[in-house]
Amino acid sequence: MVTYKTEKELTINPLKVSQTLGGVLALQGFYQAIPIVHGSQGCAAFIKALLTQHYQEPIAIQTTALQEMNIIFGAEQSMIQAMDTVLEKHKPSIVAVLSTGLTETAGDDLIGNVANYIKGLNKECGCFVFPVALPDFEGSLESGYSRTVEAMIRQLLKREKVCVSNKKIKNQINFLPGAHLTPGDVMEIKRILHSFGFTVVTAPDLSTSLAGNQGLGYSPLTQGGISYNQSKQLVSSEWTIAVGASMAGAAKIMEEIAGIPFRVFPSLSGLKANDEFFSFLQEISKQPVSPFYHWERDTLVDCLLDAHFSFLGKKVVLALEPDHLYSFITLCKELGLKFDGLVTSFSTNILSKMEEEIIIGDLDDLEKMAASADLWISSSHGEQGANRMNIPFMPLGFPIFHQLGNSLVTSVGYRGTIETIIKLGNLLK
Amino acid sequence: MEAMQEPACEHSMNNNNHKGCAKPKPGEAAGGCSFDGAQITLLPIADVAHLVHGPIACGGNSWEGRGSLSSGSSLHRYGLTTNLNEQQIIFGGEKQLRDAIRGIVDRFSPPAIFVYSTCITALIGVDLDAICRSETEKLGISIIPVNSPGFVGSKSLGNRLAGEALLDYVIGTALPPSESKWDINLIGEYNIAGEIWDIKELLAQVGINILSKITGDGRFNEVRWAHRTKLNMVVCSRALINMARKMEERYDIPYFEGSFYGAKETTASLQTIARLLNDKELIDRVQAFTNQEEKKLDQELENYRKKLRGKRAVLYTGGVKSWSIISALQELGIDVVGVGTNKSTNEDIARIRERIGKDAKLIESGGAKKILQTFRKEKGDILIAGGRNMYVALKEHIPFIDINQERHHAYAGYKGLKKLAEQLVNSLENPVWQIVKLQPPWKER
Repeated sequence: MVTYKTEKELTINPLKVSQTLGGVLALQGFYQAIPIVHGSQGCAAFIKALLTQHYQEPIAIQTTALQEMNIIFGAEQSMIQAMDTVLEKHKPSIVAVLSTGLTETAGDDLIGNVANYIKGLNKECGCFVFPVALPDFEGSLESGYSRTVEAMIRQLLKREKVCVSNKKIKNQINFLPGAHLTPGDVMEIKRILHSFGFTVVTAPDLSTSLAGNQGLGYSPLTQGGISYNQSKQLVSSEWTIAVGASMAGAAKIMEEIAGIPFRVFPSLSGLKANDEFFSFLQEISKQPVSPFYHWERDTLVDCLLDAHFSFLGKKVVLALEPDHLYSFITLCKELGLKFDGLVTSFSTNILSKMEEEIIIGDLDDLEKMAASADLWISSSHGEQGANRMNIPFMPLGFPIFHQLGNSLVTSVGYRGTIETIIKLGNLLK
Repeated sequence: MEAMQEPACEHSMNNNNHKGCAKPKPGEAAGGCSFDGAQITLLPIADVAHLVHGPIACGGNSWEGRGSLSSGSSLHRYGLTTNLNEQQIIFGGEKQLRDAIRGIVDRFSPPAIFVYSTCITALIGVDLDAICRSETEKLGISIIPVNSPGFVGSKSLGNRLAGEALLDYVIGTALPPSESKWDINLIGEYNIAGEIWDIKELLAQVGINILSKITGDGRFNEVRWAHRTKLNMVVCSRALINMARKMEERYDIPYFEGSFYGAKETTASLQTIARLLNDKELIDRVQAFTNQEEKKLDQELENYRKKLRGKRAVLYTGGVKSWSIISALQELGIDVVGVGTNKSTNEDIARIRERIGKDAKLIESGGAKKILQTFRKEKGDILIAGGRNMYVALKEHIPFIDINQERHHAYAGYKGLKKLAEQLVNSLENPVWQIVKLQPPWKER
C-alpha cells in the first residue's frame, strides 16, 4: 500500500534524485559510451560529482551546457554542437542524449531533434545514438535508469531489424539488472547464471565498468560494460531474466518485438527468492545446481538460525528507491524484523500491491517515524537523521559517501543474502 | 593599489580576454553552474535555512556534496527544496514557495532563509525578489533571494551573485556585540576540512580577531555586522573580490588578497594584515611570531624536504589555489611542472607565471585528458587536483592529493604546510604504486 505525501509544501532532506542521474548510471554499463545531459552544465556536474563519490570510479558524461539564451532561442543548436564535438573528439560507440527538467519545461523536442540528427549522420559513423526524455519532476533514479534501458533496447531493435528474425542461440539468455543492483550484485548473478551453463548477455553491465576494471587507463568514454556489438546479441537469446520489477518494461519490449519470453524476479535477496530463482534456472537449463550453491544455501540456513536472536522484536526504518525497498522489505520479513517506517521516492505497481504502508516522501518523513526504531537503513543522506535519533545506521542505496566498496557490496544470491544478514545482525545485536 | 580586474561579467566587454565569463562549450564543458557557485558561497552559513526553489535535480542531486564544516548549528546540512512537480511548474510555483518558506519558519525558526532560484523557476518567471520581500514583511525574518540560476553562467559567476545577495540584504544590518582594534573579515574561506579553525587559531596567536567569517563556519549575525571590520582579507576566491571592493566603496574598509597555503604566503598575509591595520605593536608581534614559526617549521620539514626535493607535481585546481598552492609546494622543494588555469583570471595567471617561470606548462582547459597529457609529457610524480579527477589519476596509477572541497585534510597555515608535506611523502612512498605494476600470473586472455 502506498501513501502519497503530495500535499507537502516543502521537501526536507530529499530521498529522490533526478531521473537524468539514473539515465547517466545506465549508460555507464555500455562500452565506449557517453551520455550527454541536455541541460545547463550544472545538471551534468552534480550528477558526475555524486556518481564519482559513490562508485569511486571516473564517470563518462558530457553536457550541452545550455545558457539562458540557448533556452530562449532553441536548445537544438546546443544539442547538435555537443553531439558533433563528442563524436569528433571521442569517437564513442554509443551516445544517449538525456533531457532534464530544464529542457522539458522549455518545451524542447529532444526526441524529434535527435531523430533528425541521426538521419543526417554520416553513414561511416557507426555510432549508436538515442534520446531519452527524463524530466526530473517525475520519477527518480530507478525510473530514469529503466526508461533509458527501454529506450536503448527499442532503438536497438529498430536499428537491427534484420537480426530480429534470426534463429535463437541455444543456452544464451539475457540478463537485465535493475538500478538497485550494485556492480557486485550484477557479477554475482552473472556467476550464478554461468554455473548453469548459460551464455549471458547483460545489459547494462555495471559489473565490468563500475567495479574497478584495470588496464585500460583513463578515457572520457566508459571503459567497461557491454559493447554495442555484444548488445546486438540480445535479440538472439532464448530467455530474458529481469531482476527488479522496474526492468519488466524492457523485458516486455524484447518479448513483443523479438519474441523472447521473459521472467521478472523482483528481488534476489532472501532464501525464498533465491530458491525460486535457482529452481527456475534448473528448469530452463535442465542442469543440476552446482554443489557450491548447496554449500552456500546450507550456510545461509545456518546463518539464519545463528542470527535470529539479533532480530527478535527489532524494528527498522527503511528509505530506498522502489525496487530496492521491495527487495529489503521481503528480506527483513524473512528475518522477522518489523517496520516502523517505510519511505520511497515514487510509486510503482509492485509497491502498491504490498500490505505494508509505504510513504512517498523524504528522509524527514522517515525521521519522524524512527523514534523507537532499532536500525535506520538508507543512503548516506539519512545518516544525520539517524544520528539525531541516536539509532544505528546502515548505509544502503544511493548515494553513499566516505565508504569503500559501494560497488562491491552484495545482497543477492545465497551468498549476498548471508553477507547482508551478517551486517544486519551485527548492527542489531 | 594593484590594478583591479573585476571578474564581474558586465566588465568583460572592456576586457576581451577575460576568462571568467567565457561561455561553456557544448560537448566539452566541465564544472558547475552558477547555482552551484551560489551555494558554495552561501551554504557554509550554518544557522540559516537554504531553500532551493525548483524541481528535484538542483537540490536533490547536490545537497551534502561539500565538506564545509560547522562548529555548532547544522541547519545548513538540511536539504530543503520545493521539489516542484509538473503541475506546480505550470501554475508558476509561487504558492509552493510561500508555503515552503512558512513551513521552514514554523519548523526551524531560523534567523534567515536564503531562497535559491533555479533554471526552471527563472524560466517560468517566478518573481523571487517580490515574494521574498512580502514574506519578509509578513514573517519578520530575513528571506533573501539568491538570483543565480544555473544557466546564467559558471560557478564563479554564481559565487559573485551570492556575494551580491550578501551585500544587498545582509551586510550592514546589525552591529557586533563588541569590537577590537585588530578585527578582520575573511572572505571566500569555506572551512573545508576545518581549515578556518586552524586560521583562527593562527591569527589569535598574534592577537588578530576574525569579526566575520564569510562564510566558512559562518553565522547569519556575523555576516550582518561584517561592515564593522577594520580590514577584509579575500582568501580563496577572486570571484568574491567584488564584494571586498564594494565594501571599500561603501564602508571605506581596505582589503587585500592573500592565502594561508605555505609558510611564505602565510607570513606575507600576516604581515599585510599588520601593515594595513597600521599598528606598530601588531607589526612587531607578527615579525616575532612569523620568525619563530618559520624557524620551527624549517626544522620540522627537514626530513620531508629531503624526500620531496626534485619531485615533479602537476597542479589542477581552481582560481586562487592555483597560485597559492604553488608556493607551498615550492617551499617543500617540489617542482611544479604543470598548472591548470581553467578557472584562473589573468591576474591569477600572472601570479602563477611569477612563481613558476616561463617553462612550466599551463593547462588552459580540456579536462582530464589534457591533465594526463601534461603529466606524462612533463614526467610528473604526483597530481594535485580536485576530487572529480581523483579516480582519473588512480586509473593511470598516478599518486594523487585532493585539494578541493571534498578533502579531509586542512592545509592552511604553518601547521597545514607540515600536514601537506606528510601527505605528499606518505602518498609517494605508499607501496601501492609498486604493487599495482605486478603482472597477473596468467597470460593475456
